[in-house]
Amino acid sequence: MALLEVDDLRTYFKTRAGEVHAVDGVSIAVERGKTLGIVGESGCGKSVTALSIMGLLPPSGRIVSGSIRFDGRELTRMSQRELEDIRGRQIAMIFQDPMTSLNPTLRIGTQIMETMQRHLDVSRDEARKRAIDLLEEVHIPNARQRLDDYPHRYSGGMRQRVMIAIALSCNPRLLIADEPTTALDVTVQAGILDLLEELREEHEMSMIIITHDMGVVAEAADDIAVMYAGQIVEQTSAEELFDHPEHPYTEALLGALPQLEGEGVRRGRLTAIPGRPPDLLDPPTACRFAPRCPYASFDDSCAKEPPELREIRPGHLVRTAHPASERAARPVEAAVR
Amino acid sequence: MVVNPEEVEFRSRLVEREAGGETYAAGAAIRQASLWRDAVRRFTHNKAAVVSMVGFVVLLLYVVIVPWVSPYDPNNVDFSLAYQNPSLHHPFGTDEFGRDLFVRVALGGRISIGIGFAATFALMIVGILYGAISGFVGGWLDNALMRFLDALYGLPYLPFAIITLAIFGVVNFWTMVVALTVASWFTTARVMRGQIITLKENDYVRAARAIGARWYRILFRHLLPNTLGVAIVFVFLELPNVVLGEAFLSFLGLGINPPNASWGSLAQDGYSQYLSHPYLIVIPSIAIAWLILTAFFIADGLRDALDPRTTEHV
Repeated sequence: MALLEVDDLRTYFKTRAGEVHAVDGVSIAVERGKTLGIVGESGCGKSVTALSIMGLLPPSGRIVSGSIRFDGRELTRMSQRELEDIRGRQIAMIFQDPMTSLNPTLRIGTQIMETMQRHLDVSRDEARKRAIDLLEEVHIPNARQRLDDYPHRYSGGMRQRVMIAIALSCNPRLLIADEPTTALDVTVQAGILDLLEELREEHEMSMIIITHDMGVVAEAADDIAVMYAGQIVEQTSAEELFDHPEHPYTEALLGALPQLEGEGVRRGRLTAIPGRPPDLLDPPTACRFAPRCPYASFDDSCAKEPPELREIRPGHLVRTAHPASERAARPVEAAVR
Repeated sequence: MVVNPEEVEFRSRLVEREAGGETYAAGAAIRQASLWRDAVRRFTHNKAAVVSMVGFVVLLLYVVIVPWVSPYDPNNVDFSLAYQNPSLHHPFGTDEFGRDLFVRVALGGRISIGIGFAATFALMIVGILYGAISGFVGGWLDNALMRFLDALYGLPYLPFAIITLAIFGVVNFWTMVVALTVASWFTTARVMRGQIITLKENDYVRAARAIGARWYRILFRHLLPNTLGVAIVFVFLELPNVVLGEAFLSFLGLGINPPNASWGSLAQDGYSQYLSHPYLIVIPSIAIAWLILTAFFIADGLRDALDPRTTEHV
């Protein structure tokens, strides 16, 4: 049994214009000691999936159906109080913007100790000692002195390291990193990713990395789920996804990634994906990617019925009528377009 | 002066290398420039605020010290000394009973400023709690509390204080404090609610929820301390309002009972002779205006100092 099993999760938001189907039937599993990457563009439901798992949805959002089982326990049926005991202790989360994720009026040390004092039965001195160890673990120099600094004394990269230290303070079993490197300088990003991977191994955690950056998941994830318009469109191991992408959207995402080595470098232009994602207030009943899909034709099923998520190869799920491996068998259609 | 933490780090490491390790103190000295120090520096660069601060302190010193050192009994009636114009012996002159106004205005200031601070303190507590609960809980409770506040807002200021005083039936220092608090906590409550709602959306509040922090910890540890800057500014915005309110009530004859007097009742005493002895009304009025103006300029300076993003002036 996997550590986290999300099954057919649907999370909707009430707005004045109607109900937004932000997450619409997502199933993911995170194995113990593995890293799952969730990739997709803005507004595809990646973060809402994470917030649903954490039980941190804003008041306008609610889980309509589906189940979230963490270590065999059903999270969707838990009270806020029970969830509070799990958050920070069993499941920890780090957010996108480290510049605003720390309280400017509290010392760094206080904020690291806060989690331990909340969940573990430790004295102040023990918590402080462990906070120093944690700061050293995330490679903050002069940890002992810097513990008493206020957040504005830290740079963005250092603050994200502090956020990681806070997340790790109670040895959680699952770490959810929501765009952990997006707000950081490119030079700092790699360092943070390395650190996450190093600590994941040391603390024997599982991890979910949410990102829009294919480069990030390529580096960090064991398995990858590609999300589009509230649904998973492709899910498989990282190697398989990069070597044999099946969904046109995944192909397009990879095509939009700059390459520094291999054939075609310097000559090929980066390809953008035309169009925009569909309106989730009223998601199309047919294939959600069809309007932007280069292979969709309106006389076939794409415009009429939604494709199911199917296993095209063992361990490789894809939701499209035109996966890459089947397209080759029907070259005429592609040529006509 | 913006100090880049990494640069500080770098400098402190340089120092460390040069002096063989144990000189972290040098780096620490650089980083001592904290948020509060920046605020003090910004405040001292605002001339109007500094001058007002000095004026405010001078007024406080006058009010506190003069009654101790003055040779005159503030309540000693001597008609032979009545209506003396300001002179060296009596810098503010004397009133119709021959009492020295220099010491009486100082004593009146003790009452006016005392009521002012006590009522401001009380209304801050009430306003912050009301606003914080309303903003923090949100939903229907927020709606109910705010509509109630709107209804109170619709009624004028003075009747509130007068009705409260009438309910008590006596006018003394503490009933005056309660009456002024009842009449003037609304704005603070509203502003605090707005503050809490804005702060609630902050990432560090989300982060606190994500580590499983309970509601009271989030409210008292993460939200309220961040409203401190606004609260301090509001103390100096509300203080003059309350002092003016008290003066107004006293001027209407609803103030502190004789022989005690506040600035408002001193002005009321001088009102009947304002043609023949204008200093009787002018001096207490100047005292009131002095307090109000200095407090407003201090509030303005504090606001700029504590929140560097606002640059426009009131």
